[in-house]
Amino acid sequence: MKLGAYVIWAAVATATGLFVLLGYFFQLDLLLGLRLLLIQWAVLLAAGALFLGLFNLLSVHWTKVSLQEGGWPYSAVLILMFLVTLVLGLLFGPDYQGVMLLFRYVQLPVESSLLALLAVSLTLAGFRMLSRRRDLASLVFLGAAFLTLLGTAPWPVGADSSLALLVGDMRAWMSQVVAAGGARGILLGVALGAITTGLRVLLASDRPYGD
Amino acid sequence: MSSTGTVGLGILLLFILLMLAFASLGRRWESTFRELPGLDALGNAIERAVESGKRVHLSLGTGSVSGTDSAPALAGLALLKRIAAITSMSDKPVVATTGDGAMALLAQDSLRTAYSDVGAKDRFESISGRMLGPTPYSYVATLPTMLDTEDVSVHLMVGSFGAESGLAADFGDRQHAMVLAGTDDVQSQALLYATAKYPLVGEEVFAVGAYLDVSPLHKASLRAQDVVRYLVVGAILAGALLHTLGIGL
Repeated sequence: MKLGAYVIWAAVATATGLFVLLGYFFQLDLLLGLRLLLIQWAVLLAAGALFLGLFNLLSVHWTKVSLQEGGWPYSAVLILMFLVTLVLGLLFGPDYQGVMLLFRYVQLPVESSLLALLAVSLTLAGFRMLSRRRDLASLVFLGAAFLTLLGTAPWPVGADSSLALLVGDMRAWMSQVVAAGGARGILLGVALGAITTGLRVLLASDRPYGD
Repeated sequence: MSSTGTVGLGILLLFILLMLAFASLGRRWESTFRELPGLDALGNAIERAVESGKRVHLSLGTGSVSGTDSAPALAGLALLKRIAAITSMSDKPVVATTGDGAMALLAQDSLRTAYSDVGAKDRFESISGRMLGPTPYSYVATLPTMLDTEDVSVHLMVGSFGAESGLAADFGDRQHAMVLAGTDDVQSQALLYATAKYPLVGEEVFAVGAYLDVSPLHKASLRAQDVVRYLVVGAILAGALLHTLGIGL
């Protein structure tokens, strides 16, 4: 029984993947139409999955609140704000002023603050990296980051000096020649890795949809 | 079919043939991997987590299943099955989190299958595969509380991340967890290189399954990648040489 179900899921996933993939290579009306239809279904399913994900999110935090696990007050606030936003959005629509206020004065500042926090975290991580991995690669990484900062940030004094121009030129050379070349090499490796990962799913060797 | 399409299809067929050939040769021809400190340390870290009653957390990133950035998360799901099997006897089995609803469902399916395979169906809980937040920063904002309350000692990040990856790795480090992180985005890899204790650079994020011996096809994939990489590098060098000599293709 279990084997039967696994074979069916694998066959459906492989056939679907093959139709979509072949639609990219062969310009046949039948394949193109089928590819478009399957992608539309995938988008619809992904939207449905978002609702299930939100339900899952609620159930995780509801469990925490009901069992009074560590950090449960945060979960309670999350559930409260989730329900307030959901009710306002359902009753008055996403363009309602109250919903926009929540986005503008709660979500946006919090997300901007996290982005700002990233700058501080990265600076500290740079120092931490020196104590953690004292190798040539780390030193080159930090040296390149420092040079890029120096070459990009405005200089309070001596912005027109020959040193500032030299640093700017070095930064430009590094980002356009060294970094671009390195990034292309990395992207090539990533693309090869992504292809084999996709093919493993297509060959039903990796089955993220379960057995 | 255009010439680009023909080349693309040819490369895909070559990949499939190589993967199947290396998978069938794999039993007789042992794989040797170069040393990756993070993946070498991972086995011991998971073992310590199981013995000390701590939790292993796998972040599948903030990318969506239907997007072009789903490949690293698919690699993460294969890893999730392996880790779920290893930690099935632990008091606190692995938890997988993501920023995408569909990916959370796939994580739950992977966990259910993994526990079923090792005869520990009762270990499965639907909240073990969860969506933390639907946007990258709402996802990362909930991570510190999750890492703290779940008592995480191994924080793995194998998925698609943007700039939020720097914070996600840093939060794991503040929890004194072992942080192993990799993604497909080049800029995010630079952030992870600075913030994660064990960063995975380039395609290393796709090699995790082979190092942890998930299946013979994972090891075969690495060998196939190497062959195609040499072919691509050869083609690039030949193209550069021909261009330098003024010979047009």
